Amino acid sequence: MAEFGIALIATLVKVGVLVGVVLGVSAYLTWFERKLAGHIQARLGPNVVGPFGLLQPLADAIKLATKESIVPKGADVPVFYLAIAMALVPSLLLFSVIPFGPEFTLFGKEVKPLISDVNIGILIVFAMGSLAVYGTIFSGWASNSKYAFIGSLRKASVIIAYEVVLGFAVLGVILLAGTMSTVGIVEAQAKSGIWYILYQPVAFVLFLFCMLAESGRVPFDIQEAEAELVTGYNVEYGGMKFGAFPLAEWYLNVIALSAIAVILFFGGWSGPGIFGALSPYVWFLVKTFSLVFFVIWLHWTLPRFQAKDITEIAWKIMLPLALANLIITAVAVYFLGG
Amino acid sequence: MEWIILGVLGFWLVASALGAVFVRNPVHSILFFLSSVIAISALFLSLGAELLAGLQLIIYAVAIVVFYVLVITTIPWEKVKRFEGIYKRELALSLPVLLVSLLAMGYMVYKGGLAEPVNLVKDNVRDLGKTLFTSYLFPFEVASVILLVAMIGAILLGRKEE
Repeated sequence: MAEFGIALIATLVKVGVLVGVVLGVSAYLTWFERKLAGHIQARLGPNVVGPFGLLQPLADAIKLATKESIVPKGADVPVFYLAIAMALVPSLLLFSVIPFGPEFTLFGKEVKPLISDVNIGILIVFAMGSLAVYGTIFSGWASNSKYAFIGSLRKASVIIAYEVVLGFAVLGVILLAGTMSTVGIVEAQAKSGIWYILYQPVAFVLFLFCMLAESGRVPFDIQEAEAELVTGYNVEYGGMKFGAFPLAEWYLNVIALSAIAVILFFGGWSGPGIFGALSPYVWFLVKTFSLVFFVIWLHWTLPRFQAKDITEIAWKIMLPLALANLIITAVAVYFLGG
Repeated sequence: MEWIILGVLGFWLVASALGAVFVRNPVHSILFFLSSVIAISALFLSLGAELLAGLQLIIYAVAIVVFYVLVITTIPWEKVKRFEGIYKRELALSLPVLLVSLLAMGYMVYKGGLAEPVNLVKDNVRDLGKTLFTSYLFPFEVASVILLVAMIGAILLGRKEE
């Protein structure tokens, strides 16, 4: 009973800290992205509210929260609201299997800096990545609008195609590590001293493409396609209800999937201990945010694919590549040992 | 303390299954179905069958339900003629079957006691894979051939005649 209570309280504290930090970071990521986009396009970006425009996210939040809430005519009201939760929850749950560092001891108890160390961590990532599709489909359907529905169907076709590629691309890493646990994969890399990007460069490139596709970033943002669909599936939402969708898709998903990429291919928290006791966390955050920066950089540099090309690339080029990579890895692991 | 979690999950599962049957709107019905699939996966997770929970989420909650959702959401339901009322004859016909199966289940629960895990496995991904590809290789391959046949059939049905 007492042990159960302590475990429950520890988990609740971890969840609270994680949700608070992640939401705060994503709010400031909007500021960072707008600043970066400004400099890429030879503009200044936000610079009016606060020093360097640092208070801009707060101003945006107040603006979004105080806007009038409009529900379109003919909308399915319960599903219209439910879709917001269906978009946010999977993106937040992605963080539950991300280990931020090695185990440490606090008040004589072993504490793991992740919420749940299940031995199917990577499967949870796939599942949550694809569950996000329901938020998109139902928000488009419940809005009772053509543009929103076309956007959501496009996004559904993209997610279905790239989820398959993602699964097969990551299987190579799972074969090398011999486990599906996120902690186990990082420990396997730390023990051998070689990051899996050296063994699995093809898988990393495929993972990067799938990451862009799942988080709806350029060049895979056909569900938004401002020029054709206004902003796609979230066009009928207003105020903070509108804000929740880009928050989940563009920021939470990108951070979580970057962290997963770091765990799978860049050795997670491993790195030289030059920052003392904090060095695993520093390395993990540095690696993760370099990837986030790379994704945002691509977003403001590349043009968009045509809608029909995206699924064709996934099924006809990426899936065979991922399968070939998997077979070669399996043969190599069998003959050379993992 | 586990019984609280089990109770909550079980109540969630039964409530969403009932919702899937009794709700009129087909989209709401599929949402309740999705909720019950997720509840089953949570039950697996709370019982320690982690791989089953993951597969339940990936295969049922995403791969299968998403196609139902795509079909149901693209049909304009206002134009489809709907039956409003209760299927009386069907209810009368199914009642004996329902009663007998309920009695059988009640007898089994009364006599059998609750299941206890015998050999707890540590790494159920590895064990499941080993079992599938050694003891159950033939049924596994037969199942995949059946799925392949179904896929070819679906392609044939869906293809337009030239």
